[in-house]
Amino acid sequence: MKRTFDTGNAAITEAAIRSGCTLFAGYPITPATEIAENMSRRLPQVGGYYLQAEDENAALHICNGGSIGGLKAMTATSGPGFILFADAFGWAVSSEVPVVIVNSQRVGPVSGITGAPGQGEFYLSRYLTHGGNFETIVLAPSSVQEAYRLTVRAFYLAERFRTPVIVLADQMVTDGWETLELPETDAEFLAMGLEVVPRRIHPGPEFYPATDDIDIPPVVLGHNTGAACSDWTPTDRGHDTEDITWQHKHAWRLIHKILNHRDLIDEADQWFLDDAPEVILVAYGTPSRVVQSAVRAARSEGLPVGGIRPISLWPFQDHLFKRRAIYLVVELNWDGQLVREVQRAAADGSQVHFWGRCGELPTSGELLEDIKALLKHEPLVRDGWRTEKW
Amino acid sequence: MSDLLEKYVRPEKNPGTACKGCGLRLAHRKVLEAIDELGLAQGDVVWGTGIGCSGRQTFVTWKGDTFAGTHGRVYAMATGLRLALPPEKRLILTVGDGDAFTIGFLHLLNAARRNVDMTVVVFDNLGYQSTGGQYGVTTPLGSKTDSSPYGAWEPNWTQRGFDVLRILKEAGATFLARHTVLQGHEPVDSLKQAIQNPGFSLVQLIYPCVTHYGVQALGTRDLATIYDWFRERTADDLTADENTHFTTGIVHDAVGSRVEFAAGLREFVATVQKGGGNG
Repeated sequence: MKRTFDTGNAAITEAAIRSGCTLFAGYPITPATEIAENMSRRLPQVGGYYLQAEDENAALHICNGGSIGGLKAMTATSGPGFILFADAFGWAVSSEVPVVIVNSQRVGPVSGITGAPGQGEFYLSRYLTHGGNFETIVLAPSSVQEAYRLTVRAFYLAERFRTPVIVLADQMVTDGWETLELPETDAEFLAMGLEVVPRRIHPGPEFYPATDDIDIPPVVLGHNTGAACSDWTPTDRGHDTEDITWQHKHAWRLIHKILNHRDLIDEADQWFLDDAPEVILVAYGTPSRVVQSAVRAARSEGLPVGGIRPISLWPFQDHLFKRRAIYLVVELNWDGQLVREVQRAAADGSQVHFWGRCGELPTSGELLEDIKALLKHEPLVRDGWRTEKW
Repeated sequence: MSDLLEKYVRPEKNPGTACKGCGLRLAHRKVLEAIDELGLAQGDVVWGTGIGCSGRQTFVTWKGDTFAGTHGRVYAMATGLRLALPPEKRLILTVGDGDAFTIGFLHLLNAARRNVDMTVVVFDNLGYQSTGGQYGVTTPLGSKTDSSPYGAWEPNWTQRGFDVLRILKEAGATFLARHTVLQGHEPVDSLKQAIQNPGFSLVQLIYPCVTHYGVQALGTRDLATIYDWFRERTADDLTADENTHFTTGIVHDAVGSRVEFAAGLREFVATVQKGGGNG
């Protein structure tokens, strides 16, 4: 194992290279630029291709094009570029093309503040295109080491599910420096619970079978298999059709290939939940690390508090919220996104509160103050939906 | 001609989606003729398509490998795909004038800049016809369409000294030609040169739309009248009067003058690897 001190950007790069990525196309954007820079240095060393696209729309389309040629591809961006993926993302979902997308979230809306962490694309990552009729796989790292692990997972899931997989990070994960352990041998890689699925080639002619099966090789052009893929509703052979029955079959597959294999996707950390705590804090990404500290601090004072960190964000893990409790959802935004899903999923009789901030993390002291308020059934000291203190 | 369709077109996609009398079938056949005359088999070509009449007519008609991109983005996709394909594989894209010259123009320019080995065939029906007939950037000035009931007034890219192909020339394209489908074998000859060029080629192939442009702008569905209208406004001379609607011929031939994108990138990567990759 090689022990280094590096950034999330470097971790994501090394994970992509280890996963067999040979094509990166991107457009420079803070705070994801270093992923592009690192890929421009690392890819040629392993015989891969780095391209600077004319915009993010082109970047993901170039990745899609490489992927339907048989290359493993990745792009990385932040919010203003992420929104431009809508076109290409939908194409990849519908054509069932494996590709990995990294979003290092910053403060928005629009260009917002470039170098500060935000969490504004929780819902956008679920619905990164129009038209509905699909499910999305989204993974959210909270550390440099986890950025490595989840990027490898993203490539692995993309191949098995034939779909784009999003790594939804934030500025602190990608820019942050931490200890990073990189496996140097296959045995060390496997011991980390990681695996690489090589690109396979669908032999045809049923490129789009109406099943929920995974591990179907993707469509790869250039081998004269009669491969056909497009933005249109496909028949099983990939021919465009306006037959609504085929649309139903296609949508059913896009949704249920993911929902019926959630055991491969679902992942979460749960802290101190065994004794049915009264208050449960919820967060993903970097804020979850403060939440973990706050929960530990509360426990050391004997307070009945637990914590939940969804690691896979989509499909949303409703089952994590089946305990009746007072939930406090901590996010790096002021409008509350994750909290809305928790409100929907929480067991009957639960309370769900929101704690928001942008650009910087909460402190565990602030969270502890609000944990105590909730335990006394008092209003939050800082209520993310109503506060006007600046 | 039916032999050509049998040889290259999937039987379930024949006949295509074009309207009766539409010049699009003729345009599609010109491409097949060029492929055939070059002695290419279905496995030698990967065929991509855009959106609109041209996309609908040609998507998954090719018996070999084929893909359809989102509107205007097929050039970016082809850039990535080119890196994965062997150099001898021909990459042909059949798209519309809107796809190439408006919504996808940024990507088209960048594909020309990189000199990516692809042949873009623009089936130009003088506007947005699959949506019912609205003017575009190749619609002759003054034309009445569903979105220009008083005549098209927006400056276009094919008249009064403008030529969209000259922009592509400056962007780095290595073969550019323009023809109408009524010009017999000339377009086939240009298409053959375009397909053989190991670099970025574009052939603009103008064809008459009977259903919309014919009815709205020319006031007739009569094929003979519409064809005459096209022939009268076509000059087989690129230096013809700038008010001539369609000046045809090879606009730019710089085949072999620039390194092809994928070949260049592969060589660059090999150089980095030989140098030990100490970037």
